[in-house]
Amino acid sequence: MSVPQARVSSVAERWDRERVLALAPDAPSQRTAQSLASGRAWPATGAGIGALWGECQGSGAAPYRAVVDLSGPAYRCSCPSRKFPCKHVLALLLLWAEGTVPNDAADPPGWVATWLATRAAKASPTPSGEPAEPKDPKAAVRRAQQRESRVASGLAELDQWLCDQARQGLAVSQQAGYGHWGDIAARMIDAQAPGLAERLRALASVPHSGAGWAGRLLEEYALLHLLAVAYRRRDELPPPLRETVRSRIGFSLRQADVLARGQPVRDHWQVLARRDLEQDRIRARRTWLRGRKTGRDALLLSFAAAGQPLDGSLTVGTDADADLVFYPGAVPLRAVVLARHHGSDGGPPDGGRPDGGPVAGLLAGYAAALAADPWLDTWPAVLRVTPARAPAPAVRDADGDALPLHPGAGDCWTLFALSGGRPVTLAGEWTPRGLWPLTAWDEDARAVAL
Amino acid sequence: MSTWQDLVTASLIGTERTGLPDTGVPGQPGPADARRPTQAPDDPAALLLDRAALLTVARRGGRPAGHAEPPPEAEPDPAPAVSPAAGRRLARMLGGEHPDLLAEWLTAVVARDRRAPAHLLPALLDRARRVSPSDPELRRLAAEAGGSRARWLAGLNPDRTFVTAHAGAGQDAWRLGGKSQRRGYLAALRARDPGAARDLIIQSWEAAAGPERVMFLSVMANAGLSLADEPLLEAALDERDAEVRGWAAHLLARLPGSALGQRMAQCALDCIRIESGARDSRLVVIPPARGDAAMRRDGVTSGQGGRLQERDARTHLLHEVLARTPLRTWTGRFGRTAEQILALRSGAWAPVLFTGWSRAAMAQRDQEWMTALINWALAGGPTGTLFGAETLRQLARRVDPARCARETTASPGAEIPPPIRDAISVLRFRYDMLKELEL
Repeated sequence: MSVPQARVSSVAERWDRERVLALAPDAPSQRTAQSLASGRAWPATGAGIGALWGECQGSGAAPYRAVVDLSGPAYRCSCPSRKFPCKHVLALLLLWAEGTVPNDAADPPGWVATWLATRAAKASPTPSGEPAEPKDPKAAVRRAQQRESRVASGLAELDQWLCDQARQGLAVSQQAGYGHWGDIAARMIDAQAPGLAERLRALASVPHSGAGWAGRLLEEYALLHLLAVAYRRRDELPPPLRETVRSRIGFSLRQADVLARGQPVRDHWQVLARRDLEQDRIRARRTWLRGRKTGRDALLLSFAAAGQPLDGSLTVGTDADADLVFYPGAVPLRAVVLARHHGSDGGPPDGGRPDGGPVAGLLAGYAAALAADPWLDTWPAVLRVTPARAPAPAVRDADGDALPLHPGAGDCWTLFALSGGRPVTLAGEWTPRGLWPLTAWDEDARAVAL
Repeated sequence: MSTWQDLVTASLIGTERTGLPDTGVPGQPGPADARRPTQAPDDPAALLLDRAALLTVARRGGRPAGHAEPPPEAEPDPAPAVSPAAGRRLARMLGGEHPDLLAEWLTAVVARDRRAPAHLLPALLDRARRVSPSDPELRRLAAEAGGSRARWLAGLNPDRTFVTAHAGAGQDAWRLGGKSQRRGYLAALRARDPGAARDLIIQSWEAAAGPERVMFLSVMANAGLSLADEPLLEAALDERDAEVRGWAAHLLARLPGSALGQRMAQCALDCIRIESGARDSRLVVIPPARGDAAMRRDGVTSGQGGRLQERDARTHLLHEVLARTPLRTWTGRFGRTAEQILALRSGAWAPVLFTGWSRAAMAQRDQEWMTALINWALAGGPTGTLFGAETLRQLARRVDPARCARETTASPGAEIPPPIRDAISVLRFRYDMLKELEL
């Protein structure tokens, strides 16, 4: 079996552990991979020709065979795990990062060479995953009109449904099952309004979210009603607000169009915080940035199928010198990286603590943003505060103003330990239910993920 | 506020059963507003949702700040935190990598009077709380490495009271405290002043029940063990409680100068000698014939209730005797270093010698022997048996990693046996771990 020529010369530089662990689809994978790598389950491993491979003794008789093409990176393992990369691949990479995988470029086993050859044969420009450029402009216009009318009738149906809820009373929804929201959400999918469907599906948990659930459900119904009204009146809305309404409904813009239409903003962006969410087999990562010069907040979204790694190119606590292009909207937050600049002027200062503001400033900023986008329910917060537990978990600033911590954020013991009762700089998401802390900076101005 | 509550109440009951509350909402479009777009302008349900939307946004935007009382500040800790690299390693161990090395990390941190990074304390204290039944020492170490910040955290969380139980326990903790407070007081005293702790144990011995005597001995094992402890331990060999006897024999075997060590050496010297041949020398091994009452008193059991085959039983005895024999017995008798002794051919006895000597080296904290033994194993020595693999595993966790090879010379390429690979990985990890703490 011959080895593809292009790969023979590529001597891969050894990664560090952090880079390996960043590939893990979730935290349990990291843990099992680490114990696999420190255990004794690897009878044979090797590295070379830009790849590494190993046999890992599992519970079965035959060992699992894991192979990594470092140029991708791409992986394959004979285990049945649906996680990707699986724990065997991660453990193999960890062993390699530690330097315990011997160099064996001369003689990779047959199964390794076969896989590499197949990959090389299939190698082609990677598909971007973006919606394709429309081929026939006329047909595209027709399709767009069809969609508008589908969404319009879907929203009329939704508004009817919302009014029915208010007419019959929300009390019944505490007994209603998931289907109560699932059915109308499915209708919104049919109407090509996936943003609404997602919002509706998320409502199923509200009646069981504890005291005040009725108020929270009414808030959500009212905001959906507002969205239906706004879409009906879309022609009267100023263009940025119209874009906001459309994106909340689920019209997505092609990234290429955003890049082409928007004005790039270059800055040293501080990577403040990151939050990963998983719903419906899709993983989403929100990365919050703040420009050092412009002071602008930006939100980067990236998505991956469950079990696939998310984009890890921006590290919390560092700076990135980059051109960002913002999606249009009444409060432009979401952005996409157009280009990153490396070391042109010595590179951005690395990380450092951002300037944490007072609570009043955050609330004023959020109020102003809400005036432009009434649906906004996640707002970046960078505060200088002391965490408190009495009377309820909260943070308090030097003026004595306090904000509750989000009940879903847990005990936040790491935040408390870091503070020791003294003020800390904290980045997180401000929501109507409270502050969700994501990053804090320690005494030496190092970022700690919470 | 009450306006909103009225709307919520109406929405719960439903507008078909109750009217729309007659409340003013700021910014609400009046009936004269021709642009009001509701599909059915007089539908009270739509009106309710209109008003609720306005109020929702108004309430979110106009939300006032609340009040909260932060806890008192933690005392400043004079001891500095460990380096960021050491902190990352602690995070790795708490994340599941080599969790068994955590105690060594903590011991090294405490010995250097450093502190664990504050943000890792919750995870560290949780770990200490979870594993504690099997290892009370880890709680003490975690509390000490956590310093004043850990005590402060413990004050906020009732799950972590053990931290304060270990820290700053006074005389009262000894006289009036429960089991863990007494242990904490004694362990702290033993670490500070081993002699004073021994005197306290001697005073308290008669009044103590079996389990507490075991506690005394385990505290002695953790710190400050010396020949001054021998009289107490020797006397404990005649206790009725088998666990107390076992602990005492275990501790005496760690003291190369003890009378128990001399008794073992006498027996062991009859078992192994050097025979010089024409080309090279080799070790000749004759295991002891049978155990006697004196050996049983010293903790040497005949194993498996005497059901072993005679040959296996004798091998087992030899192993037990070797494990308790002071290692200087061999260097003294043979006039060779540990490394030279291990280089002698010993044939089929090699695995027994390896495990027996390894146990002795670990018990006696003899770095020279541990280094020689692990280098022997990494070079392809006798680790083929399961027992040998387990011994190698323990050696790799106790030997000074700066002294020994962190590579194997056994066989190149992918053929490294997993126990050796594991040992190398542990040695590297410990080497880096201890080096980071010097920074």
